[in-house]
Amino acid sequence: MRRQLPTSPWLFAAPGLLIAGAFVLYPFVSTLVNSFTDRRTLVPGGFVGLDNFRELLHDDMFWTGLRNSTLYILGVVPALVILPLLLALLVQKNIPGITFFRSAFYTPVVASIVVVGLIWVWLLDERGLVNSLLETVGIGRVGFLSDQWLLLLSAMAVTVWKGLGYYMIIYLAALANVPRELHEAAAVDGAGPVRRFLTVTVPAVRSTMVLVAALSSVAAFKVFSEVYLMAGPSGGPAGEDTTLVMLVQRTGTGLTGRVGYASALSVVVFAVTVALMLLVLRADRREET
Amino acid sequence: MPTPRRTFAAAAFLALVLPLSACGSGGDGGGSTDASGKVEGDITFQTWNLRANFKSYFEGVVDGFEKKYPGTHVKWIDQPAEGYADKISADAAGGTLPDVVNVSPDLVAPLAKAGLALDLDKAAAKYKSEYLPGAWASHQVPGLSGTYAFPWYLNTGPLFYNKSLFTEAGLDPAQPPKTYDELFTDALRMAKESGGKVATLANVPTIEDFGRYGVPLMNEEGTAFAFNDAKGVRLLTKYKELYDAGALDSQALTATPESSGKKFLTGAVAMNPGSALDLENFKKQAPSLYKNIGITDQITSTGHVNMYVMGVMVNSRTKHTPAAVAFAHYVTDAEHQMSFAKKVAIFPSTAGSLDDPYFTKEDGTDVTRVRVAAAKSLKTAVNYTPVLFSEQMKTALRNEVAKALQGKESPKEALDNAVKSCDQLLKQQG
Repeated sequence: MRRQLPTSPWLFAAPGLLIAGAFVLYPFVSTLVNSFTDRRTLVPGGFVGLDNFRELLHDDMFWTGLRNSTLYILGVVPALVILPLLLALLVQKNIPGITFFRSAFYTPVVASIVVVGLIWVWLLDERGLVNSLLETVGIGRVGFLSDQWLLLLSAMAVTVWKGLGYYMIIYLAALANVPRELHEAAAVDGAGPVRRFLTVTVPAVRSTMVLVAALSSVAAFKVFSEVYLMAGPSGGPAGEDTTLVMLVQRTGTGLTGRVGYASALSVVVFAVTVALMLLVLRADRREET
Repeated sequence: MPTPRRTFAAAAFLALVLPLSACGSGGDGGGSTDASGKVEGDITFQTWNLRANFKSYFEGVVDGFEKKYPGTHVKWIDQPAEGYADKISADAAGGTLPDVVNVSPDLVAPLAKAGLALDLDKAAAKYKSEYLPGAWASHQVPGLSGTYAFPWYLNTGPLFYNKSLFTEAGLDPAQPPKTYDELFTDALRMAKESGGKVATLANVPTIEDFGRYGVPLMNEEGTAFAFNDAKGVRLLTKYKELYDAGALDSQALTATPESSGKKFLTGAVAMNPGSALDLENFKKQAPSLYKNIGITDQITSTGHVNMYVMGVMVNSRTKHTPAAVAFAHYVTDAEHQMSFAKKVAIFPSTAGSLDDPYFTKEDGTDVTRVRVAAAKSLKTAVNYTPVLFSEQMKTALRNEVAKALQGKESPKEALDNAVKSCDQLLKQQG
């Protein structure tokens, strides 16, 4: 007798499946298929095999984008793993008025990235507030928005500033689950605040730190808005601050967009992102064993 | 009741695939190049960021058309300026392009190549004589025969300068630079006198600058770019000199027209291109600058200033070709262009309109002076941006120019590389 499946669970799942299929699965498969074609915005194009992938190996902008996206991970992820944890420890205590600080630190998270980007552009402009202060104290103006490396660092600082509150909330939830007795026992044994942090808090929130590392590294590798807003649509001086996702946007959009080539770039971004996740999770597993 | 597994698989597949069948090309449904039939039916008309300031004007135009042609209905859509090209490309790829679309020549070129723009030389040749010949030709695409949009309004503008900054630098504010050589000399002096704090220009040279300097932008056939000739190299070499001296703003490599406009408003930059529209801005946002504003002609070595052209395209796949062509013509005819020009600082592209006293008689105000001067220069103005010059090409040129200014490449190397990249992109456009 043939096995039958019950109908009702599928009916419940159908709306979700439809939405996921149309807006997740289809675009993904479509991107994968397009990456093997020379499709352009208004021209369907034909199958070109691995040509797009071969071309990007010789594309200077691809390597610039890969370098910047990788640097973004190296610059942003350690800060986003450690600083929100320290911030969470500070605001964890139930003292009068602490809710105000928790909300204040969370405010950048809910602010629109466009608004945040514009504010930082005004602050870091050659005639902005930061440069005026630097000039007042005799340091002189710094080209935060005109120097290739300072621009990238400035964008990283904005990413960290905007992400602090979000990851702080995640850490607050994790810290609430750390048994108070462990801290008390460590204190009885004579451990000071730093030692208690290293021997009790860090091991207790280690899996949360891994989660934060994984989430922030994926977000950092896919960074677009901060760099786009601060470095401009051309990606900074001579495009030297272009990230991979900016390159995808620049290459694949508009009436003359090279959809096939941009899709190949997207496939590379996807592959690196998956590899990153696997790497972080594997490192976590190795630590556990 | 239980259902067989295979039925589920089929249902799931259909559920995934069916909604997607709505995506992709809209197919070839509709579309005729014959505009001679009865003007009737429902059409859509898309403008480019005009609703905010000109809602009543366009509602009046639509009402007037519907009254003139009973049986027609025009649905007016306006899209924001930001991402306009992306919106058109999404509509074009999805088969939902409106029947009548506000475009610029560089947007028309890929649409015409994809067969989505109606050839007006075939469908609306009788209207050709109503427009300035140069304006009619502005929507022709190298490699294709035909004209793919009605010319709409034209725009050009003078060069504004800050008289007090000129005076502080020991320059005569009554004698602004007229030639490129004078511009470069004055800019270097301004940078020197201000200790590098005041730049004269805020933008790196664009393709229009190369055109105004007299550099041939493309070969005669329009099949390859040519702005890497000796003249082009000379212009870029001069800009490098300005950049090194602080006469070109240090943030010029990442500047946008908006950011350089802001620098001019704050007195960080002494000269900036603009239009008559900007005078109102200066009055509101920087009254002290407005008192010191100087207005001079665009600097050009060719004797022809740069102009921007707007057009109105008819979707070749429209189901109501006669109505769409009639409406595109109605919006751009002499009467409507003239009434639009009186509402905003733009210039009509219809033959004879620029001879109207509105564009020839001064009343002593700066606004009129700019308008009359601009209208006069438009008679011989050139749209220097090649219609095939895409956004990707603009970025390629900008990046190579930046490398030259930073000293990473020589001006010659930079322009050779820019031409190579643009030629490659041109080939990929097909």
